[in-house]
Amino acid sequence: MSEKSSNGKFNVQPGEAVGVIGAQSIGEPGTQFVLRVFHSAGVLSSVSTKGLPRLIELIDARKKPKTPSMTIYLDKSVSKSLDETKQILKKIEKVRVSDVVSTFSEDLEAKELVLSLDKEKMQLYQVTEKAIFNKLAKFQNILVSELADMRIKIKLKKLKVQKSASGRKKTKDGENEEQKKMSIKATRVAFVDLLNSIIFGVPNINKAVIKESESGELYIATSGSNLAEVINIEGVDKEKCYTNDPFEALAVYGIEAARNTIANEIKSVLDDENITVSFRHIGLLVDTMTFYGVIKSVGRKGIAGKKESVLARAAYEETVKHFTNAAVFGEKDMLKGVAENILIGKQVQVGTGRIKLMIKNSDLKKLKSKEDKA
Amino acid sequence: MQAENINYIRFTIVSPEYVRKLSVAKIIVPDTYNDEGYPIDGGLVDQKLGVIDPGLKCKTCGGRSKTCPGHFGHIELVRPAIHPEFAKTIYMLLQSTCESCKRILLNDNEITSLSEKIRNFISNEEDYEYEDILESRMISKKTKNIKLCPHCNTKQRKIKLERPTFFSIDGIQLKSDEIRDWLSKIPDSDLKLLSIDPATTRPENFVLINLLIPPVNVRPSITLESGERSEDDLTHKLVDIIRINQRLEQDIDAGAPQIIIDDLWELLQYQVTTYFNNETIGVPVARHRSTRPLKTLAQRLKGKEGRLRYNLSGKRVNFSARTVISCDSTLSINQIGIPQKIAESLTVPVYATQWNIDYARKFIKSAQYPTALNHISKQGLRKRITDTNREDILSILAPGDIIERQLIDGDIVLFNRQPTLHRVSIMAHEVKVFPGRTFRLNSAATTPYNADFDGDEMNVHVPQSLEAQAEARYLMQPKDMILSARNGEPIMYLKEDELVGIYLLTQDTVEFSKQEASKILSSIGIYEFPEPNKKTGKFSGKALFSMILPRTMNFEYKSKNDEIVIKNGKITSSGVIGEKIVNEQLITSVFSQFGSQEAMDFITNASKISLITAYQFGISVGISDYYINGIMEEKDKIMHETEKKAHDLLENYKSGNLEPLPGYTMKESYNSTNIMELTMVRNIAANSMKKYLTPENDAYLMVLAKARGNIFNFVQTSMFLGQQAVRGKAPSRGYKKRILPYFRKSDENITSKGFVKSSYSDGLKLVEYYMHAMGARDSAMNKSLVTAVSGYMQRRLVNALQDIYVDQDLSVKDASGSLIQTQYGGDSLDPMYEKLQE
Repeated sequence: MSEKSSNGKFNVQPGEAVGVIGAQSIGEPGTQFVLRVFHSAGVLSSVSTKGLPRLIELIDARKKPKTPSMTIYLDKSVSKSLDETKQILKKIEKVRVSDVVSTFSEDLEAKELVLSLDKEKMQLYQVTEKAIFNKLAKFQNILVSELADMRIKIKLKKLKVQKSASGRKKTKDGENEEQKKMSIKATRVAFVDLLNSIIFGVPNINKAVIKESESGELYIATSGSNLAEVINIEGVDKEKCYTNDPFEALAVYGIEAARNTIANEIKSVLDDENITVSFRHIGLLVDTMTFYGVIKSVGRKGIAGKKESVLARAAYEETVKHFTNAAVFGEKDMLKGVAENILIGKQVQVGTGRIKLMIKNSDLKKLKSKEDKA
Repeated sequence: MQAENINYIRFTIVSPEYVRKLSVAKIIVPDTYNDEGYPIDGGLVDQKLGVIDPGLKCKTCGGRSKTCPGHFGHIELVRPAIHPEFAKTIYMLLQSTCESCKRILLNDNEITSLSEKIRNFISNEEDYEYEDILESRMISKKTKNIKLCPHCNTKQRKIKLERPTFFSIDGIQLKSDEIRDWLSKIPDSDLKLLSIDPATTRPENFVLINLLIPPVNVRPSITLESGERSEDDLTHKLVDIIRINQRLEQDIDAGAPQIIIDDLWELLQYQVTTYFNNETIGVPVARHRSTRPLKTLAQRLKGKEGRLRYNLSGKRVNFSARTVISCDSTLSINQIGIPQKIAESLTVPVYATQWNIDYARKFIKSAQYPTALNHISKQGLRKRITDTNREDILSILAPGDIIERQLIDGDIVLFNRQPTLHRVSIMAHEVKVFPGRTFRLNSAATTPYNADFDGDEMNVHVPQSLEAQAEARYLMQPKDMILSARNGEPIMYLKEDELVGIYLLTQDTVEFSKQEASKILSSIGIYEFPEPNKKTGKFSGKALFSMILPRTMNFEYKSKNDEIVIKNGKITSSGVIGEKIVNEQLITSVFSQFGSQEAMDFITNASKISLITAYQFGISVGISDYYINGIMEEKDKIMHETEKKAHDLLENYKSGNLEPLPGYTMKESYNSTNIMELTMVRNIAANSMKKYLTPENDAYLMVLAKARGNIFNFVQTSMFLGQQAVRGKAPSRGYKKRILPYFRKSDENITSKGFVKSSYSDGLKLVEYYMHAMGARDSAMNKSLVTAVSGYMQRRLVNALQDIYVDQDLSVKDASGSLIQTQYGGDSLDPMYEKLQE
C-alpha cells in the first residue's frame, strides 16, 4: 500500500465539509450510550462522571466539572519508592485538626478548647507542633495559645447566636435561658467545625490514592483537582502532571494543554463506551473550541452563538435577540456559512458548492460562433 | 432558481419616513370586510395591500392572488410607542448620555482614546463585530454611575427601566415622546462611540411614531366551512392597535383629561408590545377569544416551529415518496427496489436536445408504463400529457423543452431514513422497479441507515437537475460509503444468516459434491468450478468461497484467534472464516486493493453465497436448544457457591476482617464487593455453560458465528437471570432497610439484593419478577432520556462546526476565513481511509 501515501489518494478532498462530518461522527454514536450502560450494569467503577453527561460537560466547557480528578506523576527518583511516594501523598491529602489530636477537653461555658496533639499521628502526617500552631493562628474568630506537653488552647472570640426558630414570645428569663442553651450549642458546633477543619493538604483535593502503572512506577490519583498547587510540591513531575479539568490546564499550562486535555477526556469517554472515532474528528472539534486562545463552548454561548452570520445565529437559538441586536448595530451578513445560504436558497459554499467553473472569454466567443454555424 | 445575486444582507432600523415611502396605503379603519364581504378601503385588508381572494385584483400592481407579492401599508400612531425589543438598548443609551445636553457621559480624553480603539478595530476587521456589543455595554456600565455631565456640568438623575417599556427618571415617568426627543438629540459622533452606526440606526427610531403593516399575503384569512371568515392573529392584533389609536385621537381632539389620555396611551403601548412579541416578560399575554395566546411577530420566527427552522432551514419537497422497507438479498447494496406504483408517479426530467430528442419522443409515444407525464415548453408552460394530446405534443417537441418521464430502472434516487444522524443516512441508490408496495434494500445497507424491517419507513427523493444526478452518482452511492467516515471501518457488512452461512461454508471439514457446488456457485453467476480435492473429487467450502475473491488478491492476517492467508485469490489457511475476518479484514482489504466496486461485489456475492449455503444446511432454533443435559446440576453448584461466597463476605464484614477498598468505608466496600461478586456470577455461569454446548446446537452455532445472541442468552434462559441493576447499582430504594415488604429488614439474602435465581425457562418468582421489572423499567427510561439529550448535543455540535471546510491547500477554515488547522488532522488524511494507510 505504498502508492497512496505518496500521491495523496487517501487525502481529504478540498472543500470537504469536515466540520459536519466530525460533528456527526461524535454525535451519532451518542444514542449508543444507552444500551452499553445497561450491559455493564452492576460493575462498580470509580466515582467519576462518565458517558454522555461527561461528554456534554466537556463540549459545554463547564467551568466546574462534576468530578475533577488528577493523575500526579512523580519524579523518577521518587516514583520507585513507596515510602517517598507516601510522603508526597501526605502533602497532598487533607489533614484535619482531628487527625493529629489524641484527646481534647472542652469548656463550653468558657468557650475554651484544649487540644492534646498526638506525636505518632504527627509523625505520620509529617507535621510539627509549630506548624499546626501557626496554621491554627491564621483561623479567624479564635485565640490560640500554646501550652506545655504538646497542648494547644483555643478560645472562641465571638459567637454568632442563631435566633431561635420558633416565633413564640417568651418571658425574659426564658429568653435568657434559651440564649444560654443556644450559645452552648453554638459553641459545640463551632468546636466540631474546628476539629473538622483542614489544616494541611492541598485545597480542593479530597481523596488521594497511590497506584502503580504497568511499568512499575508509582503515581497518585486524586479526586478533586488543584494543578497550580500540586506542581509546586517537590518530587512531583511538573511536566507530566495531569488534571481532567481543562480550565485548570488552561490557567497553569496554557491553551495548547487545555486543548489536549479536552481531546484526551473526550477520547477516554468514547473509549470507555467502546466507540471508535477517528482522532481527526475530535482534534477538529477541540481546535475549533480553542483556536481563539480561550476555551469556547459548543452551543449558544460559545462557537454557535458567536458566529459572524446573523442569520446563522438567529436560525440556531435566541432568534429575536440576534435580529434586534443586528438591527441596533447595523450588522452585515456576508452569507458565507452553510446555514444562512440554506435560508436564502443559495448553494452552500462547502464541498462541490465551492467549485466554480471559469471559462475564458475568447473560448466562449469561439463556442458561440460554432453554435451559430450549426 | 438560485438567489445568486444576493451578496450580503444588512440589518437596519426603518425610519418613519421610510415606512411612509414603503407604504401603499394608510390604514385607518379597524376592520376588514364590509357586509357584502368585500375588503374595506383603508381597512386592514385594503386591496392595495394585495389580494388573497382568487376573484379580486390588486389595486397596486394589478396582479391576481397568485402573482401579486403583496404590498406594505402603514398606521400613523397618534402618540409614539416604544418598540419592546429595543427597550434595553434605549435604557443603555439613556444611561450613557446626559439628560440635558444629550452628549455621551465621557470626558474628552476618554472619547479620543475610545475612538482610537474603535478606529483600530474597524481597520483590522472591516466590520462591526460581536465584541463591539460588549464594548458598548461596558460603557453604559461605566457611565451609569457618573453623576455629573463632563460637557455641560448637569447633575445626572437616576434612570430606571421597569420591564418591559416603562422608563422613569428619579421616579418621574419618562414618556415615549420625551424619550424619542432625547434619543433624537444624541449626536452622530457620540453614537459611534457606543458602536452604533448612525447611518443604519438612528436611536429615535426605536420609538415608533408609525407602524408598518405587513401585506395581507403574510396574514391570510381563512374561510371556514360555514362561510365565515377567520382572520389571522396578526390582523386581530392590528385591529386592536388601530382601534386604540383611533380612540386616543378622538379623546385628544375632544380635550379629554390627561389621565384618560395616559391610560389609553399605555394601552396603545401594550398593544404595540404584544404585536411584536406576545411573550414579553412583565406583560399579560394577549389572547384570542378562545383564550388561545395570539401568535404575533416574534412567535412566528422563533423556535422549532418558527419561520427560520420550519420553513427556511427545512422545506417540504416534491419528487419524493415514502413507504415501508423490506429486505431483498438479491439486490446489490447499490440498488433499491421501488414499487411499480411509486415509479409510475415519480418523474425525472429529460432535457430535450438535438441529440436525445428521439429518446424523449419514445416516452411521449408510449401509452404504458415508462411514459412521459408532463411536457414543459421552453417558455416554462407545463402541460400534462394525456392520450388526447399525445400526438400534438410529439409534433411540437423541440430542443430546449423538458419532458417529465416516469422513473425507470437505472435512475438514481436518494434514499433516506430519519433520524438522519450522519451523512450515510442519505445515500444514492440505483432504481430497480418491482411489483409490490415496499422499498427493498440489501440487508448490508441497513447499518448506515440504522434501519430494520420491523415496519420502518423510508423516503426516496428524485434529484431533478443533471448536476444533482451526477453528484449523487459519483459521490453518494453506498459502494463509496462502505468505509465509515467516523473511523475508517466498514459500515456495510454481512450479518445474521449470512454469518452463519459463511461459518458453515468455510469449516475445514466441509465438502460439497459437484451438484451442490454448482448450485451454490450459480447463485452468484459463476459457472466454472474451483480445483476439486484430489482425494475425494469434491469441492471444499473454502475453495468455493475463494471464487468470490478477486483473482489477484493476496492477503495475510493473523491475530490471537483468527488467521487467514490468501494467495492469488485462494484461501490457503485453515480454520473457519469468522465474522471479524470477513467484516473487518476482507472487506477493508478488497477495498484498499481493488476499490469500491470490487468491495461492493464482494459483499453482495458473499451475502448470496452464504445464504445459499445456510439454506443447504438448514438452520432452525427452538426451545429444545436451551434444554441442556446436566445444566441444572451445574446451576445448583454455582448457586451454592455464590451463596456461600456472599455468606463468607458477610461474616468477614461483620467481624471486621474485611479489607476495605482504597478510599472507601467498610460498608461501601462490603456492598460494592458483594454486588460485584453477584454480577460476576453471570460470567462464571457462562464459562461453565460453554462446556455443555456444541456447534450442533443451532442456537449456539449462531453465537459462534457472531450472527445473533450471546452466551448470556443461554445462561439467562437455562440457568438464571442473574443480578438485576437499577441505575448501574443493585436495586436499593423502597422500604426502610429493605426493598420490598416481602423481605425481613436488613436481609442479606442474595434474592433480596435483586439477584434472580430463576431462568426464563423456569419462569420467575413473584419477587424476582418485580426486581426484573425494575431493571427493565430503568433501562427503558434511560434509553428515552439519552436519545433526547444526545439529539440536542448533536444539534449543537453540528451547528458549531457546520461551516468548517478544507481549503485548496488542505488547511481547515471556517466561514469567516479563520484558520483552524494548518493541515487537516495534521496529515490531511481522510478519516475514511485512515485504516488503509497501515
